[in-house]
Amino acid sequence: MVSSIRDQTAIAGIGQSEYGRFLPDSQLKLGAKALKAALEDAGLERSDVDGVAIHLGWPLGVDYDRVAEAYGLDVRWVSQTWLHGRFVTSAIQQAAMAVACGLANVVACITAISFTRERQILGGPGDAEGTREDGGTHAESPPYGLTSPAGGAALGMQRYMALYGATSAQLAAVPIAFRKHALKSPYAVMKKPLTLHEHQASRMVVDPLRLFDCCLITDGAAVALVTSAERARDLKQRPVYIAGMQGLRSGRDEFIFATRGLGINQQPARRSPPDERDLAAYRMAGIDRKDVAGLYTYDAFSPVALFVLERFGFCGPGEAATWVQGGRIELGGELPMNTSGGLLSEAHVAGWNSILEIVRQLRGTAGERQIPNARYLQWATPWSDSVIFRN
Amino acid sequence: MSESAKPLPRTTPDGQPFWDALRARKLVLPYCAACGKSHLPPGPVCPFCFADRLEWRAASGRGTVSTWTVVHKEWFPAFAAEIPYNVVQVELEEGPRLTAKVVGLPNDRLRVGLPVVIDFDEAREGVTLPRFRPAP
Repeated sequence: MVSSIRDQTAIAGIGQSEYGRFLPDSQLKLGAKALKAALEDAGLERSDVDGVAIHLGWPLGVDYDRVAEAYGLDVRWVSQTWLHGRFVTSAIQQAAMAVACGLANVVACITAISFTRERQILGGPGDAEGTREDGGTHAESPPYGLTSPAGGAALGMQRYMALYGATSAQLAAVPIAFRKHALKSPYAVMKKPLTLHEHQASRMVVDPLRLFDCCLITDGAAVALVTSAERARDLKQRPVYIAGMQGLRSGRDEFIFATRGLGINQQPARRSPPDERDLAAYRMAGIDRKDVAGLYTYDAFSPVALFVLERFGFCGPGEAATWVQGGRIELGGELPMNTSGGLLSEAHVAGWNSILEIVRQLRGTAGERQIPNARYLQWATPWSDSVIFRN
Repeated sequence: MSESAKPLPRTTPDGQPFWDALRARKLVLPYCAACGKSHLPPGPVCPFCFADRLEWRAASGRGTVSTWTVVHKEWFPAFAAEIPYNVVQVELEEGPRLTAKVVGLPNDRLRVGLPVVIDFDEAREGVTLPRFRPAP
């Protein structure tokens, strides 16, 4: 077995554009702003970037070659995922592996989105992804009018509610918590508090998901620069080390908007606590789950927050809807989640806004959102991929 | 509203017998000739034992709703007149699950575990879609 990648790489710089709706800038312009800010943050030059892990690309944007061409980069390593929450971890992992293996010295992880210009692909006749043979990857089934990732999230939550008696009012604790966090983020698109009454009165989109259970559709860009731990220590900022990782699980037991065993699509309907593979990131990082001071996830829809808690064993199968009540996932609670507001309330920068927030937290620069003494923070999704960061 | 504007299934050679049988108002499933298990969606090999030889056999057409949703947002103009409309996943008696819809039942009576039987939607030209009714 090869040696562990634990603590061998770090995020040395972060940058972002403004986040908003119908921003006048192009996707590439937003990305350029974020890349310049990240280089300035790290104290690096454009010429230091010799790898890119881009988390955009067709159908939601241009590909790696146009990115490199537009920014005048000259890179020797490229990874391209398309813009999905499931590939945030893949992009970070591939960047870290490329650095650790000597394929690149500095990898720019670049995400740039103009969702408000591209929204027609997010559901309906323009949703090419959901119209593929055998349906889409989120259980889309256009012949029956089921389209958009929201449909799959609804199928998952509906069954969860039936099995465990969870309610929409319980689910509301997730977007309400993230809205509170967003109110403390200067970058957040949402500026007003969300009450339980407003959540329950909001229009039903795809039952049981209401408007405020569905993430924002926004524009923005975020860049994180990954380099070796050694080099990061010589740069301007306190390094945020990539301490542990585990990959995306896939197979007939998995569905993107469900925990293992929930019984959606062809998943066996057989819940069980997390197994060894689900906890590998903790072992790589040399920590226990209880050492995690905050959890960050791809909250495209509120149920994702419940499912990730169960996937990683923060609570047992069927317990999450109860577990998240009483401020437990809010700043000051037992396990703050998505402390800058996530996709639900800060902005939909494909999860990278939360990666940047993790870095700010571990540098100790998160201001009024700061988790006191945060040492380990976890990025994770219900489909089991995860990265554990430390300072 | 135009039925013809609704999206049609995109099929592959692996699933063609499934759609051909539906046009004859029959629900069939691919079974593995080696291990005997059935699966959906129709694949190139048995996903359980990886054997190549698959056989198509009639399904009972009975199952239960394993999950459901009701769509309230207009995503497809061709579905606008039906909003709110349901979409369900049905766990067939044989085990595999099928995405479809339930007719003959108000949406507010949909529930996980509802017993259903196969029915056929022949409204779209050239293709018959499986749909379900509450079991009698």
